Amino acid sequence: MNNTRGSAPLMIPILVLVVISAAVLTAGCLFHQDERELKVIHAGSLVAPFGEMVKAFECQHPDVDILLEGHGSIQAIRHITELHEEYDVVAVADDSLIPALMYPDHADWYIRFARNQMVIAYTNQSRYACEINQSNWYEILTRPEVRFGFSNPLFDACGYRTLMVIALAESYYNDRTIFDNLIARNFDPQMRSTEDDRGAVSVVVPEVFRPHSDKVAVRGGSVQLIPMLDYADLDYVFEYKSVAQQNGLRYLELPPKIDLSTPEYGSIYQNVSVFLGFQRFRSVGIERVGRPIFYGITVPKNAPHPALGAEFVEFVLSEEGKKILQRANQPTTSPEVVGPGTPQVYATTVMNIGEMER
Amino acid sequence: MTAKISPLSIVVVVLICVGAIITISHFHPPGESQDVMDWNLTLVGNGEVRVLSLDDIKAMPSYEGYGGFFTTVGVVNGPYMCEGVPVEELCDLVGGLNASNTLLVSARDGYLMTFGSDQVRGHFRTYDPQTFREVPHKELEMILMYEVDGAPLTDYGGRPLRIAIVYPEDEGMVTEGHNWVKWVDKIEIRMPSGA
Repeated sequence: MNNTRGSAPLMIPILVLVVISAAVLTAGCLFHQDERELKVIHAGSLVAPFGEMVKAFECQHPDVDILLEGHGSIQAIRHITELHEEYDVVAVADDSLIPALMYPDHADWYIRFARNQMVIAYTNQSRYACEINQSNWYEILTRPEVRFGFSNPLFDACGYRTLMVIALAESYYNDRTIFDNLIARNFDPQMRSTEDDRGAVSVVVPEVFRPHSDKVAVRGGSVQLIPMLDYADLDYVFEYKSVAQQNGLRYLELPPKIDLSTPEYGSIYQNVSVFLGFQRFRSVGIERVGRPIFYGITVPKNAPHPALGAEFVEFVLSEEGKKILQRANQPTTSPEVVGPGTPQVYATTVMNIGEMER
Repeated sequence: MTAKISPLSIVVVVLICVGAIITISHFHPPGESQDVMDWNLTLVGNGEVRVLSLDDIKAMPSYEGYGGFFTTVGVVNGPYMCEGVPVEELCDLVGGLNASNTLLVSARDGYLMTFGSDQVRGHFRTYDPQTFREVPHKELEMILMYEVDGAPLTDYGGRPLRIAIVYPEDEGMVTEGHNWVKWVDKIEIRMPSGA
């Protein structure tokens, strides 16, 4: 009896604590939901403009915390399609990768929002910096004392695009020695470039891709190549124009027929295909075909916050977003929706884009 | 005789329980899951095929060293203290690697990397993690890592087996991240294509 009577008052604090504990746990869960965390995965070359984009978006949306993650474009997509991770927005430096790797299970639309072009970056210290121009660059790069570099085509789109530029240069300048002088002879095993009866050029990259001399440097990406220019370890580097500008480098613009910038020359670009020496990703083939460089952005189907992701995409496409991209030296383009799906969540924007395109 | 339970002790017990619930709900214990215990590494070379369990690999003489890497956009990870088995010793189990061979390392997620025989023997470029300028190095070893900083790898970190490029003393330098293949499940010695 006494025990029963005595346990009644004890039950009150226990119950209170249980309720408080439940409230704490529930609040923890709710807090996580209300945090409005937005995860954006993007191509490495968008690091600078997207850094600025995030600052501006968060300024307008103080309750949103954006997590940015940069990778090579293929790797960025694989985080969603093969590693089954959740992101709200994906933006890549080759828009053709989205339909190729994400349709139909992980996305069914994307928007072209930016473009780029291949240039040759250099500094004031580069040998023959005062001399190089659109008509002699391949001759200057051939000189024995000149060192140049590019990123590894097995790992970086800028790398296989470099090989495309050099292969296209042979036709443009009507000089069939350019690829051999700049690339083939500097690698062991030697690289092959062949042309068929219809003029289509195939470049085959060996599975272990390393130059046999110091004349040519091949590295994983811009992260390693830019310091080599800065420290005068290299004279010239093939780069995206945006990356050259963002790093304050001088650069030589190449003729539009070879720099992969212009949709009108798409039929010329697609004459060149690069075949990579091994299939780095089970889901991605080894052939890369020349195309104009366009950046694509989408909200994956498994995005945890699709509406917020769409808001971010809308911001990127807005006038303010466009200005941010341009201030970061990322060339923009009129947005174009591609794909069978409709990004319903921002129908107004899509309608406006549709009007623009018409 | 009835023991009296004070309200204070009940409060303490409940708080401990709440703390335990929160801890359990936010952290996963580092024990080996079934899929890790069932993990096999397939070695292929010179006409031989061998399948090793994680325990088989851990029973081999281990190598400890420091290593770190950087990503495509320059995010630096490490250096860490890494423990594993030299890849060259794994190759020896299927006839060994010669100078003209290449090594294909593949992973559960479909990722594949090719290494030259000189890389398997430690010929990698090393970089200053601040400037990303190349820096010289002494001895390097390519290992198949199963522990990092004294603990099993996390799932995101490549559990249970990941390639690592390491050096015996902490020199603070890093290597390219694409070489650090996660979730390794097959290592194959091959003649290069065209050979």
